[in-house]
Amino acid sequence: MARLRSRFANLVTGCVVAVHLILLPALYFGVGYVIRKSHEDLFVQHARTFARILADEFEVGAALDSAARTEDLLDLAIIHGESRYAELVERDRRIRSQLGPPDITAPKEPDMRFAHGGDDTYFIVLPIMHAGQSAELRLGFDERPTQTRIQLALNRMLLLLGAYLCLAIIIASYLSNRLSRPIRRLQDVSRTIASGDYAQALDVSTGIRELHELAVDLEAMRRELVGVNDRLQEKIREKEVSEARRDELQKQLRHRQRLETVGTLAGGIAHEFNNVLVPIILFTDTALQDLPPGSVSRSDLERVLASARRAKNIVQKILTFSHVLGDTKLAPMDLRNVVAEGVVLFSALAPPSIEIRTEIAEQVPLVRADATLAMDLVMNLCTNAYQAMQGTQGVLTVGLRVPPSAAMPSVELMVSDTGHGMEQPVVERIFEPFFTTRPVGQGTGLGLSVVHGIVESFGASIAVETAPGAGTTFRILFPAITESARADTPLGSLEM
Amino acid sequence: MHSILVIDDEADVRDGMKRVLDRAGFSVRIIDNATDALLELKREPADVVITDIIMPKLNGVDAIYRIVQEFPSVRIVAISGGGNFDPSSYQPAAITTTAYLLAAKKAGAHHILTKPFESAELIDAVERVIGAGHG
Repeated sequence: MARLRSRFANLVTGCVVAVHLILLPALYFGVGYVIRKSHEDLFVQHARTFARILADEFEVGAALDSAARTEDLLDLAIIHGESRYAELVERDRRIRSQLGPPDITAPKEPDMRFAHGGDDTYFIVLPIMHAGQSAELRLGFDERPTQTRIQLALNRMLLLLGAYLCLAIIIASYLSNRLSRPIRRLQDVSRTIASGDYAQALDVSTGIRELHELAVDLEAMRRELVGVNDRLQEKIREKEVSEARRDELQKQLRHRQRLETVGTLAGGIAHEFNNVLVPIILFTDTALQDLPPGSVSRSDLERVLASARRAKNIVQKILTFSHVLGDTKLAPMDLRNVVAEGVVLFSALAPPSIEIRTEIAEQVPLVRADATLAMDLVMNLCTNAYQAMQGTQGVLTVGLRVPPSAAMPSVELMVSDTGHGMEQPVVERIFEPFFTTRPVGQGTGLGLSVVHGIVESFGASIAVETAPGAGTTFRILFPAITESARADTPLGSLEM
Repeated sequence: MHSILVIDDEADVRDGMKRVLDRAGFSVRIIDNATDALLELKREPADVVITDIIMPKLNGVDAIYRIVQEFPSVRIVAISGGGNFDPSSYQPAAITTTAYLLAAKKAGAHHILTKPFESAELIDAVERVIGAGHG
């Protein structure tokens, strides 16, 4: 760019110089010719007029009668007529003024033009008739003063043209610099923009319309770039946030999966242990009845029974970490957070064919619930909805609101799908464990029974709206905590 | 003497229950699956059925439905120790136990009992359903 910039200024100056180098010599020679011609014409005209007057003087006067008089007139021509040669030739005599330089000889023929013959003298020969006698007046006019004047004029003109050329170069240089300044400014700002700094505005002021329009266009482009850049930055930030969120979700999922694995193991162990403990307890009980009080065997078996009861407690403890329902602590909570988090967590698992919509009210009253179980509830309902739409496009809507027509203050959690819906006989059995409409291996049928169990544990109620082909909506109604209920103790364990 | 049919896929569990209930003065039959238990009830009715929930073939909840429909006079006690069948569909064990027993109750069980239980609890449960039935 620097090379291009210097070329631009040089180009303008160079063009001006080139044009002048062509035009100025032509001008010089043209004007020089006119000057030379006019000086020469003036000289020739003056010489001829002077010669004519002198010839007339000889013809009408009595100068020819006396040699001294003739010589005076010829001297007069040298003195006043800028002549350097004056001679009168008669038949038998030649009279020449002695004032001119002696080394000049008049040619036989008169000069036809200025500077003819290379002798710096313009010769004129005039015939004279006086008193029946003919004679010739030969005059040689000095060309050198005129040549000097011509040369002087030409030199002055050369000087003027030289000065003009210098001025032209200076003006061209100034103008090209002035022209290249806004271009340079445009270039600097363009470079700044190219380096990634879009903040600098393109406020180039120039009187040149094209440059002004270019600057305006570039400024519009810069603003567009600033917008695009801002949008890109915003997208990058959003992407970073969403990636961080995804990482966090994946971490949560991994954590959940680990818990599930351990929980499954614990659940399996608990089930096996419970079955093992039943005969231990029962057989020990009956054996104790056969033994007399105070016997060693009785004391031993009482220790077996005590150990079995301890084992039973240990199993309960194992189960505690994976939420023993009876020990669940129900606490006042805002379901909006749980529902929002559950939906986000489920979104990470759901395939793109399922569109997930949320309709969560800005504010809902607090309800008594357990956060993890409430999350299980949302996840189970969402999973069920997703399975109802499996293999098809569908919309899953999760809503949370205060139902407008509820008898008691309450909060309604709604999970709706656009899946295949259900027949009435199916609806009546959906909350039973093992009940499933899916083929073997695609679900155990526990999901909705778990939902039911959780709903009951919260003291909430669940309703289903469905029809074949019309999708399914589950509505769970949580009793809202009223001011009087706040004072009450939390809900107790599930009554069996 | 009241007759009791015990259904459980675990031999030690059903034998233990038989021992306790025999001693308590009941006439006890044991069987290891619900399908055969329905045939057994047809062959010889029982006053009380004690059934596990999680069993291969026919599960306890479905068995209770069938018993309630086919033998309405039979009193039913459901027992469960929870557990999961499939690691991919894990649910907290206590919730499944609750869910199973709730479902059993909904299906028509007159009493439910969480494993493990003591002899006295078992006898008490049987006596309660018989008493309720007579009441």
